[in-house]
Amino acid sequence: MDAVFEHFAKGQVESNGYELSKSLSPSLPNEQLRAIWKSCNTHSVKGVVKRHVHASLDRMNVFAAKEDPKYVQGWIDVYTAYWKAVGDLHAARDPASDSKGSQLLWTKVYESWRELLNTILRGYNSLGFEAWTIPCLYVVLKHLREFALKADFERNNSSSVDTAAQSTFQDDFNPESDQNRVLEDCARQLNRAFNACLTDRSELENSRKIGIYYVINLLFKTYFKLNSASLSKNVLKALQAGRGDMLPLEAFPKSQQVTFKYYEGLLCFLEENYVQAEEHLTQAWNLCHKDALRNKELILTYLVPCHLLTTHTLPSRKLLEPYPRLQKLFLPLAKHIKKGELHAFDLDLLENEDEFVRRRIYLTLERGRDIALRNLLRKVFIVGGFEEPKAEGDKPVRRTRIPIAEFAAAISLGSQETIDNDEVECFLANMIYKGLMKGYIARERSMVVLSKSGAFPGTGV
Amino acid sequence: MVPAWSSVPPPPGTQAAPGYQTSYSATAYTPVQVRQTFGQPFPAPQHAYPPHAAFGAPLQVAQPVSTNNTTAGPVVPVVAAPAQEPAKRKIDWPDSVRNYVQRSFLPANLNPSVSRADMEAKLKQTISQATDSGVMYSINWEAMPLPQELIMEERSRARAIHQSQSVSPAATATQASFQQPAANPPTNSKKRKSSDLTDVGIISPPWRQNGNASRLEDRVSFSGDRRLNADETPSKAMSKSQKQMEKRLKRFDGCYTTRESSPPATENKNKGPIVGTCQTLEKRYLRLTDEPNPALVRPEPVLRQTLELLKKKWRKDQNYSYICDQFKSMRQDLTVQRIRNEFTVEVYEIHARIALEKGDLGEYNQCQTQLKALYQLGIKGKVIEFKAYRILYFIHTANRTDLNNALADLTPAEKKEKAVKHALDVRSALALGNYHRFFQLYNDTPNMGAYLMDMFVIRERLSALCNICKAYKPNVPLRFITEELYFESDADAAQFILDHDGQELLEDQDGKVVFVTGPKACQIFEAPRAKAFARVDIKGQI
Repeated sequence: MDAVFEHFAKGQVESNGYELSKSLSPSLPNEQLRAIWKSCNTHSVKGVVKRHVHASLDRMNVFAAKEDPKYVQGWIDVYTAYWKAVGDLHAARDPASDSKGSQLLWTKVYESWRELLNTILRGYNSLGFEAWTIPCLYVVLKHLREFALKADFERNNSSSVDTAAQSTFQDDFNPESDQNRVLEDCARQLNRAFNACLTDRSELENSRKIGIYYVINLLFKTYFKLNSASLSKNVLKALQAGRGDMLPLEAFPKSQQVTFKYYEGLLCFLEENYVQAEEHLTQAWNLCHKDALRNKELILTYLVPCHLLTTHTLPSRKLLEPYPRLQKLFLPLAKHIKKGELHAFDLDLLENEDEFVRRRIYLTLERGRDIALRNLLRKVFIVGGFEEPKAEGDKPVRRTRIPIAEFAAAISLGSQETIDNDEVECFLANMIYKGLMKGYIARERSMVVLSKSGAFPGTGV
Repeated sequence: MVPAWSSVPPPPGTQAAPGYQTSYSATAYTPVQVRQTFGQPFPAPQHAYPPHAAFGAPLQVAQPVSTNNTTAGPVVPVVAAPAQEPAKRKIDWPDSVRNYVQRSFLPANLNPSVSRADMEAKLKQTISQATDSGVMYSINWEAMPLPQELIMEERSRARAIHQSQSVSPAATATQASFQQPAANPPTNSKKRKSSDLTDVGIISPPWRQNGNASRLEDRVSFSGDRRLNADETPSKAMSKSQKQMEKRLKRFDGCYTTRESSPPATENKNKGPIVGTCQTLEKRYLRLTDEPNPALVRPEPVLRQTLELLKKKWRKDQNYSYICDQFKSMRQDLTVQRIRNEFTVEVYEIHARIALEKGDLGEYNQCQTQLKALYQLGIKGKVIEFKAYRILYFIHTANRTDLNNALADLTPAEKKEKAVKHALDVRSALALGNYHRFFQLYNDTPNMGAYLMDMFVIRERLSALCNICKAYKPNVPLRFITEELYFESDADAAQFILDHDGQELLEDQDGKVVFVTGPKACQIFEAPRAKAFARVDIKGQI
């Protein structure tokens, strides 16, 4: 307990939120947790905590808040709740507790930790906890989510027959959401914390709004985990509405900026808004710490497909060098797109289909086939060579009237199945419609007439 | 949890003790009816179970040989000294009681229709009564019925009361014998043993504990059938409005709605699924705003007859509004009784198909969502057929996230099945703008998928026309449009073009009608195309 209040006192004296937040950390060795838990009992905890808090606050020379009994009581409640949670956590971590079998220890941890969150939020909402103490909220929220995941995991793996939760008379039930019952509650708690930050109307320099992006990022993370990314929209809307009275994103720590931009980009990506997605993801990419490989890999997972669609460019081998997993996913695709090998492209897509679908990039990458097709048709055009020059010394002009049969042959070869001319025309029409190819189809003559200047825009011919 | 639990049990001693024993001797072994209804053989009360080592102690019930009870609080949370009053009394639990608790939670003895919470509540009740009345050591715990048996018995009795709307003499007799000893204090005494289902909820919901309504209730001593009428009291109406308010709140919540935190929901939790007693085949759908009344709910055998009847009626009359209403009420009856089996799946499947046929996508989607959940439970049905519909449906709603989920949901074997493969091909044709292939697939749709494809075929035609207008010059034969876009006839194709103000695009050339393409034509079709692809909003969509 002494160590806990060492951090508390130091944090309070220096007004150092991160130092203060160490006093609420649950990531301690188990002996330490045990020591804290054993240092008092249910009866004595209030008194012990009270003494410590008073002693710590007394070390400050000038500080009006310590005179406020409500404020002091707020911290006493926080540490009492913390003590209780530590006890549950210690029990859950204790290897000996395995013998208790079907008891849901982590659910207990989650619940007592949520109680701790309640005391903290109460402190912010009505007892005058200052904005600089916000790292305490970070620590509590971060671990709340961890405990929720553990609790769900534990419950899903325990044999206990637990149908009580399903006993609603609503018309629908959802086994999936039952799997994540605790995490869903956690999302609600995070949302409360989000609102506690958002609704603080004090001066900006002493406002809990400084904590908002940390909370939002956790919230996004949780929503994605729950497979309900769309709920993140509400958060963005609320943020947008309150943006007039808020520090710009650039004022927040870079780590928070990167995460936020990543999720913002991802949300656009899921809505097929690739231009904006690319913008956000690029910002995240540029801000990302150079050694944060995992984060960079995540960003690239979505940035590469974005790029493919918006600018028709492919990732280079060098770019993907540090990421073997991405190499496996993207390099074969890139190679076959480049060469216009439709069939090989289809096989690539098929081979990694599960992974693509899981990462939600399948439907996007699939559209890369257009680029592969474009490259194939371009080859046909180039192989067609040049027209007979009309006069000596004229610049050579490419043959721009190409029989559909030639394209049909190329596509049939490329996709390794026979495609009839009508379908080939359909492909060509698509190319023209999407602006990947300039020209028109003259159906009567079974010809494609390509533009003399830039038949395939952006490719040099 | 039983709301009344926290109230103080009657003091140990004179009055409660005999009542306790009589109540148990009266209720001990009468579960014959239950056995029939649930088709689940009761474990015969066996004597002297050996303490089962592999079986961990259940939630909140401490292991008899708990090692660190100093840290984890008293070993007696069975009697659940709630957290705020810890370790008030240390009781040395006799082995017989511990064995009894263990026996209750043996997997072989568990009854799936009795929730754990119910069992724990019942255990607490039983044991604390024994403690309070001082018979803990004298009682024969070996012969004591398990909590799940007690609960089932209460339920069956409740049913009996419902069935015969007027109380049968036998029931009154038992009822009276229960009420005698505990008539004076309104506590959680044996009175509740005979309680029917509605009673459990009524005991002391929070809003009842203050205000005028409660006083009225307290003065009334219910007999079995009067208790049913308690539904009509003002306080009940209050709970109704509370629920409605909650529903309204939920609508705007946008986030996870709290099942746990709502008081009426916890009230529900205490009960197992109800079992309906209604014997009429047809029933109009009425949205439930309150606890379902078993007398108005049809049990499964009756519902099976209903389904046959409805199938016939549908074939004969094709009256959709009637059929839809009837199916909704069937689904409701299934839900409130928590029947989830192949019959449930069949009902949802048939309703989904009928809704499809009539283009009622809202209703279809509700069925589809439920079917997905039911299939996930491993219940058999036409999984392939409906997974295919699901894909087509998400193509229609242009919901990419759900489409992606639907794809993730397919096994490699399923992808090879005809219907699913067809749906996947449709999806990929559209993704690549391959209208040629799309209309070929449209022509050859398995099952009832064509009804779904009808929903988006118009917008795909517009899209294809835009393509054609931009890509072809100077014109194409109308016949080409008819064939590519799979119109029934040239006339239909021409009509489609005329419907979109394209009359000037059709020209007669040497006796052949041609469709003039080019930028002007493009302009004509671009606007309706964009409009058709704008967000698809469907009632009931989640």
